Amino acid sequence: MERTRKVIPLSEAIRRFVPDDCPSLAVGGMHMHNNPMALIREVIRQNKKIKRLITSPSADINADLLLGSGLVEEILTAYVGFEHLGLAPNFRRAVEKKTVKLLECDEPFLVYGFQAGAGGLPFIPYPKGLELNDLHKIDPEFYRFTTDPYTGEQVMTAAPLKPSVALIHCQEADPYGNAIFKGSEFTDRQMILAAETVVLQVEKIVPDLAAKYGATRVNVPGFLVSAVVEAPYGCHPTSSHGYYRDDEGHLRAYLQACKSPESWTEYLHRYVLDIPEEEYAATIGRGRLNSLRSEGVFE
Amino acid sequence: MSAKDYSGDKGHSQETGNPRESGRPEGKDDAGEKAYSAAELMTVVMARHLRDGEVAVMGAVSMIPMAACRLAQETHAPNLSYIAGGSGAVNPRLEPLVFSSCAAENLRADAMLPLPDVILLEGHGKRFDVFFGGGLQIDKYGNCNLVCVGDWHNPLLKGPGTVGLPFLPRAGRAVLYTTAHNARTFVEKVDFNSGPGFLDGPETWLGQGLPGEGPALVVTPLCVFDFEERSKVMRLKSLHPGVSREEVVRNTGFRPALPPEVPVTPEPTLSELVILRRLDAAGVLGKLV
Repeated sequence: MERTRKVIPLSEAIRRFVPDDCPSLAVGGMHMHNNPMALIREVIRQNKKIKRLITSPSADINADLLLGSGLVEEILTAYVGFEHLGLAPNFRRAVEKKTVKLLECDEPFLVYGFQAGAGGLPFIPYPKGLELNDLHKIDPEFYRFTTDPYTGEQVMTAAPLKPSVALIHCQEADPYGNAIFKGSEFTDRQMILAAETVVLQVEKIVPDLAAKYGATRVNVPGFLVSAVVEAPYGCHPTSSHGYYRDDEGHLRAYLQACKSPESWTEYLHRYVLDIPEEEYAATIGRGRLNSLRSEGVFE
Repeated sequence: MSAKDYSGDKGHSQETGNPRESGRPEGKDDAGEKAYSAAELMTVVMARHLRDGEVAVMGAVSMIPMAACRLAQETHAPNLSYIAGGSGAVNPRLEPLVFSSCAAENLRADAMLPLPDVILLEGHGKRFDVFFGGGLQIDKYGNCNLVCVGDWHNPLLKGPGTVGLPFLPRAGRAVLYTTAHNARTFVEKVDFNSGPGFLDGPETWLGQGLPGEGPALVVTPLCVFDFEERSKVMRLKSLHPGVSREEVVRNTGFRPALPPEVPVTPEPTLSELVILRRLDAAGVLGKLV
């Protein structure tokens, strides 16, 4: 019997593995790096409703584009912004106008939560002192306290997170879903460990990844991955570590486009709704994309 | 297009919330007469504060702390270690400096920790000596706010979120900074405490028994603050060259402790500037403030 290859076209991956009403969708990437934008744009094209969007500790255009598309009911996040470029316009607008429910947390809530979700742990207790900020006062149901059985003291806890689907960018994968992060893995590997279903987008499919890098470098095992999509430049306008830089000009243009409903609609149609993902690179321009290449950072 | 086009929502830092423009309108004119920028002076102040053998950690948009760590390593603290934000990079050798804490360029470094390991160690309590932070708001007890201005349920301004700032009470000394020294940043009390300093003062802080030492230093384009030992209130430590005590008071939304004699912040030495400009040949620091 032959081993199953997991490489499928992008549209099929989203159609098959993201439910039309997705209970919880985790999106990888941190700041303007390694955002799985090809998968995210396809989620928007296929009009998938997202009950709960879960981000890494620092989301960027990955969350902001989804929020702008109006498909998200609630968002669990510790940060949505554009780092040195400014605040996230759709996030800010949706929260201030209450068109999205914000479940605001800190970085460890997500990191501990993925760890607990991955390992079947009932919760993870916080170190003492992390209850001194005001986050747990927003909603007492959200950050819950329990008694430390060793000291008898009250401790704050983080609940397990088990996203229904995680959309993650890796730089390279083999046909069976084994994959690598060429640079930082951020919290993307934890999302992979915690999610029920994982869809990967990669810059390149490599026939035998372990032979190319050695198995010790391949730390995403294929048995955790449901589908792999080859999507060169699929992180644009964010960076893909080891392949290309973020496109600061495009990110600035995006922020500008978000300023009025007309320009936002135009952006959404031009780069997402009116083209299949296969035409995205040509829409941005091959020359522009090639000028962002940054291979050799780690070599 | 320039950063000016985003006057409503300027660049800010994850850990600091800093708008990129100075809150000091006359700052630009003065900068032309000086041999260094305000950001370079801030970098030098932070670098001199770091001790050999310490471990420092920082979040997003941390060009100034990163440059400070590099400068300290090349002068008095060759055994300093620092971790560059979400990249997990330990001791990046950044030349030139880059804007994003998570850019791949940070990974030209000594080592890389997966981010969950960095978060784990931030909870340890004794692994890190210095944590760089800040906020949209910073109050007189050094509490920081990156969550919202106004009431959380009806915010006047929704901030980006707090990320790792809640670790401040466990992460050694907090070195806070802002590139916008004005009365909107420095407030009597933060609207939302997302990065605890000395909480509501000594009574609330001293009972906690936490491993962190609390806020130690606040660096701005106008001055340096530390904290009064007994009251835990922010205290004017030094005035940058050409800045008056009145200017600091006018731009600070609370009454800082004001010693009778306040020295002038020592200027960067020529050798410090030579090192900084080698690290920052593109002049990133010069453009910040």
